[in-house]
Amino acid sequence: MDISTGSGVRSHCVGTTAVVYASDYLNKLTGEKIERECRRQLDSGCRGLVIDFSNTELVNSIGISILLGIIDVAEKNGAPVVFADVNNQTVKLFEMLGLTRHVALAKDEEEAISNLSRLTQSTPVNH
Amino acid sequence: MKGHSSSENPRRILGRVGRHEFVGRSQELERIVAQADPLAQPRGILVLLEPSAGVSELLRQAYDQIFNLRSGVVPIYFAFTRNDRTAVSAAIEFLNNFLQQYIAYRRNEPALCQASLTLQDLLELAPPADLEWVGQLVEAYTRQRFSNDDKSLVRFCLGAPRRMPARLGRPFVMLDGAQLAEHMNGAVVLGTEVLRVFNRSEFSFVVAGLRRQILTAAHDAQCNFDMLDTLRFDQLNVEDARKLVEHVASRQHVAINEESRDLLVQQFAGSPLFITTFLQAARERNAKLTSYLECERLYVDELLGGHIQHHFAELLEEVSADAETRLALIHLLGEAAAGNEPVASFEAWRKRLHLDASELEDVLHRLHVQEFVNWDGATIEAGGGPQAWKDYLKVRYRLDVLSEPRALVVADALADSLKRAPHTMARHYKQIAGLSLLELLSRFDCQRVPKTLFSYAQFSRSYKGEAEEEIASGLESETDTFKLPQIVHVASCAAFSAGMRRVCDEGRCLVAHGFDEASYTDEQEVVWLVSEVEAKLEVEADTVQTWCDRLERLAVTSGFRRYQIWLISNEGFSQEASELITRRGAFASSRQQVRLLATHLGDERLSPVVRPEEGDEFLMVLPMGEENELVAANTVEQIARRLNFRPEAINQIKTSVVEACINASEHSFSPDRKIYQRFRVESDRLVITISSRGIVPTNIGSQEGTNSGAFESNDASEERRGWGLKLIRTLMDEVEFERVDEGTSLRMTKYVRHSSS
Repeated sequence: MDISTGSGVRSHCVGTTAVVYASDYLNKLTGEKIERECRRQLDSGCRGLVIDFSNTELVNSIGISILLGIIDVAEKNGAPVVFADVNNQTVKLFEMLGLTRHVALAKDEEEAISNLSRLTQSTPVNH
Repeated sequence: MKGHSSSENPRRILGRVGRHEFVGRSQELERIVAQADPLAQPRGILVLLEPSAGVSELLRQAYDQIFNLRSGVVPIYFAFTRNDRTAVSAAIEFLNNFLQQYIAYRRNEPALCQASLTLQDLLELAPPADLEWVGQLVEAYTRQRFSNDDKSLVRFCLGAPRRMPARLGRPFVMLDGAQLAEHMNGAVVLGTEVLRVFNRSEFSFVVAGLRRQILTAAHDAQCNFDMLDTLRFDQLNVEDARKLVEHVASRQHVAINEESRDLLVQQFAGSPLFITTFLQAARERNAKLTSYLECERLYVDELLGGHIQHHFAELLEEVSADAETRLALIHLLGEAAAGNEPVASFEAWRKRLHLDASELEDVLHRLHVQEFVNWDGATIEAGGGPQAWKDYLKVRYRLDVLSEPRALVVADALADSLKRAPHTMARHYKQIAGLSLLELLSRFDCQRVPKTLFSYAQFSRSYKGEAEEEIASGLESETDTFKLPQIVHVASCAAFSAGMRRVCDEGRCLVAHGFDEASYTDEQEVVWLVSEVEAKLEVEADTVQTWCDRLERLAVTSGFRRYQIWLISNEGFSQEASELITRRGAFASSRQQVRLLATHLGDERLSPVVRPEEGDEFLMVLPMGEENELVAANTVEQIARRLNFRPEAINQIKTSVVEACINASEHSFSPDRKIYQRFRVESDRLVITISSRGIVPTNIGSQEGTNSGAFESNDASEERRGWGLKLIRTLMDEVEFERVDEGTSLRMTKYVRHSSS
């Protein structure tokens, strides 16, 4: 079930994995909203994060730097992150700025959740 | 002596502004400086000026350049002024000036040019090599001074540069305001004497004066015209006049906007004299010029009691020293300016002014030289002169002749100026948007063209709705053609009939005299009467009827035996109008046809094929913030699609624009919080310039954005913010920061052929 949080970012949980949906334009404002939602999910005990970019057409460098912050926080919480349904142009930007070395990409949300469940089953959670 | 290389920043000596601030007339300046080349054959240059066109600063600039060249050619600049009351006093002033500038040059001490020095001082300052001849010159002058022979004294003083020993250099004399020399009291006509002396000398010289006066003076002086060149100075063109307004306003710290700048250029018709005078007045009154109202308020103040009033009052005093005659002149000229009896006989003026014939001749000559009237000996045509003169006359007429209350005159003058301002600009804008028919007609030159281009009805049937390329190709294959005449003279209809001025703008209604087959016989002579008819939609029959009647009347009253009417309108003509045009034997074309004709005739200016570098430029100003960079991104997407960039490249361009907007917003401390965007479409590329006002980032040159793998570096999120430029450099083909005085201006280019990258 999708939950619309106070920040206006759509998200839902599948088991211990949270799926957060990025909007059509990833910039400072929308990036911070995603960051807040991810933190909230991690605080609630999520052990994996999927950020779904299926609606995202344009990203800017500030938005990307915020994503890096999210990856940082998630790593510290022992929660792997997967980016789902990222369009080719955005993938190239992520590659250019080194994001893809720290995050897995999946073709869609389903594949992302499946990848994460494999990871979370094999990796012990460290608190 | 102090050396000074010409390659260094040149010293400003007499110039009132630096070389980089001197606007326009660069070719003329080069011509004059070239004449001062030590290897140039000695020649005289007559500078023929339109009144108020201005030449003084050009001559001062030439002086500075020649002085700084240190080539052994000694520049001498002398301006006759209204303070020189007699030919003798002016000639003595010239001698003093010559010696002072000569010694300044020889000592390479520019400051001496501006010092207040007596002949004795100059003698003491003369370098040892010059002592002998300068001493002899001063001694001879002292003898002449007390000889009671004015003519001989004047010639002696003017001839002083000829006494300069050739081994010490060669003089290059530039005389400014030669027309003033004509009006000095005494037995010697100084203007003529100047030309007589210099034309017989063996060095180059420049004499600048009003165009209607100086040629006459040269003839009177029996100058050898083989040794004279002429330079004609009109007012500045629009572009140079705009630059002049901007430069002077900036120098005088006068706030001005583009609208006011353009108004001043048009209102003063590009006159450097009025533009600089007006901006000087603005500074003195601490007035800003950011609206039409502020401009016209100052203008009216100037007309009634400022520099402009002073200028015209002085000119009138030169025309006649007698106050009563001046009042009568204002009466006569004021009535003429109002349109009452613009043309009158010499006798009628003599009676009105109560002058004898020789006095009136004198007055008329001076008015004619200033171009306030046209006087051919028998008739006088008043109503000439710049708009400021006409406005001056109007207020003086009401104040001095009609004795109307000053407040009323001021209020009316301001209201009139304000009402006129939008019309002045509208006329200018129409002129810019006009079809340059004059140039087009001059290209006819017996060229063969498709008949369709002169029949809107036929063109419409054949080509309406077709693409430009298809029309062009259709026209190419047309066999029904005809030969245009050779046009030998084109003038405005208003020049043939004053009444036409009321119904059309100059340049949009023309009379073109020509010959079919370029055969100069009565039978082949033909006059084309061409008019652009103003209409937003297709022109209706009644308008065509009016225009055909009007132009036919003009043909009949002007005695044109064979004529051809050609009407042009933006959107063509209605069916009924087209039928009437055919019945009247007239030609009719839409604007599109005229552009196609221009292409056919090789006139690229009117060509419908818009060169991308000229035509496809988009400008946009966005407020910073509120995700407005998305507006820019969406706009550039639409533009990039027109150039057939691939979707991936379009995305790269959009991302770059977004990043550039963010950079502009974040780094510039912009005072107006605006982002200025320019998208220029060229045949193979899209050039985007994103600018903002504010501070110039100190690290602009080092923002290479080359750090790879920023995530691994020891940076914090602040450094990640530097990714914008890195992304832009990666996504675009060329990225460059343009040099700007403040803020930033980033130019990014994406080539179409690189769209797969």
